[in-house]
Amino acid sequence: MTVLGGGVFGGAADDLTELRSLVDDIGRRSFDSRIGHRSLPDAFDATAWGHLDEAGLTRLSSTPDSGGGPAEAAVVLRALARHAVTVPVAETDLLACWLAGRAGLDVPDTGALTLATDLGAVPYAADAAAAVVALPDGDALRVAVCDPASLSIERGHNGGGEPRDTVLLDRDSDSFVSVDGAAAELMRRGAWARCMQVIGALDAAVEFSVEHTRDREQFGRPLSAFQAVQHTLAAMAGEVERGRAAANLAVAAAVDHGFDDAATDYAVTVAKVTLGRVVPAVITSAHQLHGAIGVTIEHRLWLATMRARAWISEFGDTAHHARRLGRLALATADPWDVVVGSVSESIGTR
Amino acid sequence: MTQTADRATDRAADGFAALCANDPELAALRGSLREFLAADRAEFGWQPGVDTWLSKWDEAFSARLGAAGFLGLTIPKKYGGHGLGHLHRYVVTEELLAAGAPVAAHWIADRQVGPGLLSYGTEEQRTRILPRIAAGRYFSAIGMSEPQAGSDLAAAAMKAVKTDGGWILSGKKVWTSGAHLAHQVVVLARTRPLDAAHRHAGFSQFIVPTDSPGLDISPIVLLTGEHHFNEISFDEVFIADENLLGVEGDGWRQVTAELSFERSGPERILSTAPMITALIRLLADQDDLDDHAAAAVGDLLARLISLRQLSVSVARALADGRQQTNEAALVKDLGTRFEQESVNLAADLLHYAHAGAPGRAQVAELVDIAGLHSPMFTLRGGTNEVLRGMVAKGIGVR
Repeated sequence: MTVLGGGVFGGAADDLTELRSLVDDIGRRSFDSRIGHRSLPDAFDATAWGHLDEAGLTRLSSTPDSGGGPAEAAVVLRALARHAVTVPVAETDLLACWLAGRAGLDVPDTGALTLATDLGAVPYAADAAAAVVALPDGDALRVAVCDPASLSIERGHNGGGEPRDTVLLDRDSDSFVSVDGAAAELMRRGAWARCMQVIGALDAAVEFSVEHTRDREQFGRPLSAFQAVQHTLAAMAGEVERGRAAANLAVAAAVDHGFDDAATDYAVTVAKVTLGRVVPAVITSAHQLHGAIGVTIEHRLWLATMRARAWISEFGDTAHHARRLGRLALATADPWDVVVGSVSESIGTR
Repeated sequence: MTQTADRATDRAADGFAALCANDPELAALRGSLREFLAADRAEFGWQPGVDTWLSKWDEAFSARLGAAGFLGLTIPKKYGGHGLGHLHRYVVTEELLAAGAPVAAHWIADRQVGPGLLSYGTEEQRTRILPRIAAGRYFSAIGMSEPQAGSDLAAAAMKAVKTDGGWILSGKKVWTSGAHLAHQVVVLARTRPLDAAHRHAGFSQFIVPTDSPGLDISPIVLLTGEHHFNEISFDEVFIADENLLGVEGDGWRQVTAELSFERSGPERILSTAPMITALIRLLADQDDLDDHAAAAVGDLLARLISLRQLSVSVARALADGRQQTNEAALVKDLGTRFEQESVNLAADLLHYAHAGAPGRAQVAELVDIAGLHSPMFTLRGGTNEVLRGMVAKGIGVR
């Protein structure tokens, strides 16, 4: 089974099965606890965070000796997203802990963290024990660790109900340190994490669509008995599998080479563009299959579809990544090499 | 400790290079084939084409390819092959398609007949045919569809009646590509009458030499004017017992058992790849190419790369002996639709090349040919509607 295995076609057991089922369990409880009172915004789930923290899953890839790397992080992010668990594990583990380490700054060992780079949409700022602020300065980043209590924060949320807050701070504060060459990796890590989350959300969207079309009867039979509906489901599943294949390559690249590497840059770019096209197609089909039932706040569907939509637009939109991939191919003597993954130089800022 | 070591081995097997079918052994094979193709093209002057696995029949090329050791990769050495794995074959196939090489002559023999003989053939059949396939000197067609049996293959009505020392075949096969040039046709026929309750029962496969008395091959001309397809009439054609392939009555299982390889193969994604790479090379020479065009190139490539990743993942699973019926059907549905759409995307991108740019006319010609062939991409080997029906079954809604 591939790292991101799952979805409607399932997969065989592997050495990540136990981790998958552990996170799945936590996720399912979080999801079920919201039945009957789904609303906007969808607040930080402190209970789920507590379970994850107890299980050692909130700082898996950034804690030395945890036994966790990108593969484990990918499993956790996908499983949490599949149940729309409202917690900043990607921000805490892959972004804030990593960047604070790079900057030589301390962050709290427990509690949620956030990474603030777009100050108008900071994930979970009001819920975090600390915010790692990263302001772009050419290829470098100006980095500081701030106590959210000392910041002026206006709460907000993205289309999927997840906290995205506006933060006001003193950009000229002397607490900032400059970190060279980290801007590209931060972007790559963020894009990578969002791809893993998107796979989880899309798996949920397909699962919900299969269940709904089986249960819902019109014209005297289940919707799923109609060939047009069957073909829409098949096309959706196909798009998700294509996205999963691209995301799996991004996982493998990060496992093999880390995040500061040409192969990972390539694979994350491919995954981000691929999912950038897959997400709208799958969302459209999922909502079409659910009919008007699926567009209400009470229904579970938006937690999958609107989160996928919000996530895929972060850390460089689809056009940005498509342009980078296009420029890479245009600068490669044989474009076929780009297709088979023979890339030796990072795409850079093209 | 052992567990950690196993885990490290597993991870290497699932690593970036492996997922790209580009780990050291496969990369070396890829490199040696590229060298062969560059030298062969320089010497013999063939031009990269689109959809070459249907349309570029070049027996001399196939023989050179065989002599260089790039055919019959999965055929054991004792039958003249190379005893390598499915992924080796995958890499060679995709490099040939990407290069636009003229591969049609050996295509069906190497892709279907070789594996079929290995699974179901008698020792005598293997010894007789496999070495010639591996040498690129033996060409085959496949006779499956009939005038009344297209997507619904089980409606095939071709009859084979037992007689002394063999079988008498009567009926008609259509869409048999290359039959007019091939040495043999592998034919699916009913050896028992139709049982409406078990439509897939009672079929058998036969190896039919194309010079058999009573066999008549006539062209089915494509809308491009090209002749690749044929109609074959069987007027009481005698086929000796030694040319029954596999088990009498087991034909349906035999033809469907290995369909996943064919459905998920590189030819379901790469029929237009030489057009795409030629276009990108052409655009790379335009020094004022804007961001919009670069993004369109990136979009096109991301689709191609993601589909290839899906195809390779299916090939890897099949090589491990895992069933991939749904995934293979998905590759064919998504891949062939991509092939079609790539033609339109390429036509749009062609506008970014200056009118007199060197090479523009050649790329425009590839786009045009691909456009003429494109209706076939989503039909051959089973229509996409049938494939989506299979996927729906796999999801559990049908």
